Amino acid sequence: MSEKSDVILCTCGKQLQLDYEILTDRIGKIELAKTVTILDTVCQDDDLEQIAKMIEKNEGRLVIAACTNQKIQPRIDQFLYSKGLDPTRIQYVNIREHSAWVHDDLTEASEKSVAMTRGALARSSTSNTIPTESKDVAGHVTVIGGGIAGIESAISLSGLGYNVTLIEIADELGGHLAKLPMVAPTGKSGTEVLAARLAALKSDSITILTRTKVKYVEGELGRFVVHLVTDAAEEDELHTSAVVLATGFKEFKPTMIDEYQYGKNPDVLTQLELSEMLTEDSLKRPSDGGEVKSVIMVQCVGSRSEDYKRDCSKLCCTFAIDNSLEILKRVPDAQIRIVYMDIRVPFENELIYAESREKGVDYIRGRISMVWSQGNETRVKLYDSLLDQYFELSSDLLVLSCAVLPPDGITELSETLGYAIEDDGHIKELYGKLRRNETRRRGVLAVGAVTRPQFAYEAVTDAQAAALVIHNELQGGRIEKIARGAVLVADDCVGCSLCAQQCPRGVPLMVEETDLENQDDEQKLVFKATIDTLNCHACGVCQSLCPSGATQLNFLTNEQLWAEIDAVLEGAGSDYPITLCFYCEECSVSTIDIVGTRKMKYPASTRLIPVPCSGRVSIVDILKAFESGASAVMLAACETDRCHIAGTGNEIAQVQVDVAQEILNAIGWRGERVGMYRMFSAEPERFTEAINEMVKRAKDFGPTPVHLGTAGKWMEVKE
Amino acid sequence: MKDAVLVIGAGVAGMTAAIELADSNIETVLIDRLPTAGGNALDLYKAFPTDDCFYCFEGSRSRPGIRKCFYRSALIDQPNLHLRTDTEVAEISGSPGSFTVKLTVGPRYVDSRKCILCGLCLELSNAFEQISPQCQPQAVIYRPDLLDDGAKKAESDCPTKAINLNAEPTEETVNITDIVLATGYHEMQPINVDEYSYGKHPNIITQLELAKILDPNGESGGALLRPSDGAQVKNMMMIQCVGSRDENYYAYCSKICCVFALKHAKIVSSERNGIGITVVYMDMRTYDRHERYYRETRDSGVRFLRGRLHLIDPREDGTLDVTVYDSLLNKYLRHNIDLLVLSSALEPPESNDGIIQLLDVQMRSGFIGPSDPFSENEVVAGDHLYVCGSATGPTEVPESVTQARAVVSKILQGRRS
Repeated sequence: MSEKSDVILCTCGKQLQLDYEILTDRIGKIELAKTVTILDTVCQDDDLEQIAKMIEKNEGRLVIAACTNQKIQPRIDQFLYSKGLDPTRIQYVNIREHSAWVHDDLTEASEKSVAMTRGALARSSTSNTIPTESKDVAGHVTVIGGGIAGIESAISLSGLGYNVTLIEIADELGGHLAKLPMVAPTGKSGTEVLAARLAALKSDSITILTRTKVKYVEGELGRFVVHLVTDAAEEDELHTSAVVLATGFKEFKPTMIDEYQYGKNPDVLTQLELSEMLTEDSLKRPSDGGEVKSVIMVQCVGSRSEDYKRDCSKLCCTFAIDNSLEILKRVPDAQIRIVYMDIRVPFENELIYAESREKGVDYIRGRISMVWSQGNETRVKLYDSLLDQYFELSSDLLVLSCAVLPPDGITELSETLGYAIEDDGHIKELYGKLRRNETRRRGVLAVGAVTRPQFAYEAVTDAQAAALVIHNELQGGRIEKIARGAVLVADDCVGCSLCAQQCPRGVPLMVEETDLENQDDEQKLVFKATIDTLNCHACGVCQSLCPSGATQLNFLTNEQLWAEIDAVLEGAGSDYPITLCFYCEECSVSTIDIVGTRKMKYPASTRLIPVPCSGRVSIVDILKAFESGASAVMLAACETDRCHIAGTGNEIAQVQVDVAQEILNAIGWRGERVGMYRMFSAEPERFTEAINEMVKRAKDFGPTPVHLGTAGKWMEVKE
Repeated sequence: MKDAVLVIGAGVAGMTAAIELADSNIETVLIDRLPTAGGNALDLYKAFPTDDCFYCFEGSRSRPGIRKCFYRSALIDQPNLHLRTDTEVAEISGSPGSFTVKLTVGPRYVDSRKCILCGLCLELSNAFEQISPQCQPQAVIYRPDLLDDGAKKAESDCPTKAINLNAEPTEETVNITDIVLATGYHEMQPINVDEYSYGKHPNIITQLELAKILDPNGESGGALLRPSDGAQVKNMMMIQCVGSRDENYYAYCSKICCVFALKHAKIVSSERNGIGITVVYMDMRTYDRHERYYRETRDSGVRFLRGRLHLIDPREDGTLDVTVYDSLLNKYLRHNIDLLVLSSALEPPESNDGIIQLLDVQMRSGFIGPSDPFSENEVVAGDHLYVCGSATGPTEVPESVTQARAVVSKILQGRRS
């Protein structure tokens, strides 16, 4: 069913260099165009009123050709919603940044604008309205891990009105912090920092389960089921709407590094073991209970090492200095030497470093080369890189500042919780700059040292921030939003599970179903996918992978995209070879908008189609473009590893492009007619260079078999 | 506006806090003393730790997604969010929970809601400019000192009548429940530090100035050219801890300059081929996963020299003879370079002094500290007072964002109890 739409052409205050006579005339003749109206400033109040009237008249089928929708759409949406009108059917065409500002030839720019408007009309003709939907979920969150990050998470979530279950594997809450004699930068002990928080946990809305472990988790955001097991092997399950992982860290135990003699010589211990000694006020030599008069600390044990952990553990320098000061409090004349590579103390921790030097802590830049026992003495051979000399010293204690490692159990839990894991074994954040507490999986947050080494105050901030992120998702238990995303028709699902495997945020679930109709033939079990559209982030990866068209974005169905491809390419042939560019509405739309703002020029023999994420584009979509007459097809996507919408959509797109190239090569076309390019809005020339290259290929490669009329036809072999 | 929150400073932290607040249905007034939002980040090109462009920013409920480009961030068309640029706090009275804040709002020469960036005024007069394609609000800026006939014509011809050349500064009084301090940092200009000759020779610059040169949208299109004569830089040197870890200036470590410097070293060594780079440092502080920058720059041939700058001797050909003490070799070494980049301390902005006085918050090396340092609550600066981002001390972008969210979390919790 193809419905007609109204078209609005904006002149941007009569400043756009386009031939509006051509535009009105040509667009007016398009079958799917009902009316064509020219407005001067669609973003201003008078014209917004005009849009509202047109929306009412034509059930919302409207195409607006103006500047970038990234700027005007939020204003138009907001205006229409405030009038009780539905803007979800409006389709946008960018005739400013994509045409008028980037092409010098008035006619060519106008032609391109007409073609792209024709495409939008096709998209509009079968558009759906997208309703605002709501659902109720339990106002309950589960926090796994009872250290400072988990405790603060529970308090913050409870403060935001949620019921919280806090799960801890050990007997007591407090984690590593409880063992610290001094917490930088406050100078208080761990137990002092924890005291007020432990009191705050005594709330009706917080349930604490110690000696309890999470076995696995089922479900999704809004309806997770956490399966628990106690140390008495009792099993239980917990219904919850979101999960916060706060399982902290593990200190590296360097038993396998021979030169330190850890585990062999009792006077060689880790920094955390020293902390425990100081907290219990039992500072003595473990070997004979003797007094501690001299201490050597070694930094970067296992950290910054190709053999163990490549990165810096961040906390250990401060940790060592704190413990040195604690030792000096108890044994003022103790001789403390810290052997280091670089002392890394951020911001005001530098002041503690300075204080320790004043108090006589000796810093030696170098490495330990050997540790051995001589009688009841621990002997250490070290290399001083500033003096370029070796020294041999005795020490009552040798304290190893060991690497901060991810805790045990992360991999096992990831199998059912679906978060991704970083190369270094910590939980991978959704996006390192702006989304640090979110994981790949929606509704699963990670806070504190489980994501990377963190100071206590950082873990606290993390926990407070994550509580807000959860609150934004759960909205107090009643989730209400525009149901814009993937809709799955179960009857069409073939149960291949590609969507569930590849969804960048783990939204589709595979559900076991007993197919009643087929019960006769041996009670078949069938797996089918389900998608909760309200949990979907609307990238379209599932749609591009779905072999049966069962899952489709409700704002960009296959039918819509194919109709648009066909319409923008109407009349495309080999005389004026057309390059079709699919661009993602993340990095690519920005890059192309900035190309426009900076009025950088590129050929007008190009047509642009927006997709929410490059991962929405399938091999079929690419081949359809050639079928409709394109000479070259380009995909503009986010940078490698930096997909903005969800994390991995751009890499799925890369696979689609690679396969499309192989197919084209196999059937005797040129695979290079398809190209994938990575966009970066700080470098707009990336787009102009890419599209110039594709336009050149379109020209150089000449007519396609579609243009020649030979595509898909058996060629008769002449004798 | 009822029960509004005031966010002072529209850099990364302030913008995040404001958008999260507005999304949570809280009336929010976001002010900045500059004509455009973005703060220091707007001058940077690539961000660590993600090495992508610095212009992306939080999505919001009306623009969902992991992040959005600055230019489409929701600062103007976000319901509940009231952005005031060119604006400063003149007076704060009342009590925590019900402050009365008087704002001095600069002249509204251009109505940012009306400006459509059609480009007409930019063609007619040099008095108008678009600061960056990513500027927020998306509107031109008018500079009254460049007033000419073209500007007057632009005022009358502007298709949306967005221009008012006779605009006057105004005062605005707002009732505020909570104040969020997001005043950021300032890069120290080491003019008074004699040994670095900053300000005396054009080829001696700071890291932020280097960031602008490397920006492909900048004057040189990203080519690394000598400021003195535009000649290609062949050898450059970076000096760490300029004004930081120095009792005469700032005793603290500025925390992000090592990574900042290495990020630039990496861009230069991997994307601007053939330029020799030496980094002079005391301790290389690439915390946590930032160690990657240290590994990668070493592997790409950047030289690291542990020591201190001793002497700068400019030559007539525009190059600099720089003598450095190498503490590992215990020797003085002389290098001939084209460009000297100082990793200058990140200092509290001057405007902090006034605010610290007005609000009686805790100082922390000139930055704003937590009201109860023993609570480990970094973002709570007092009763109904919050702080986030580099206002707390030098912070990375991700930390600023996390702190901003923590602030909003705290404000929402405060409103429930």
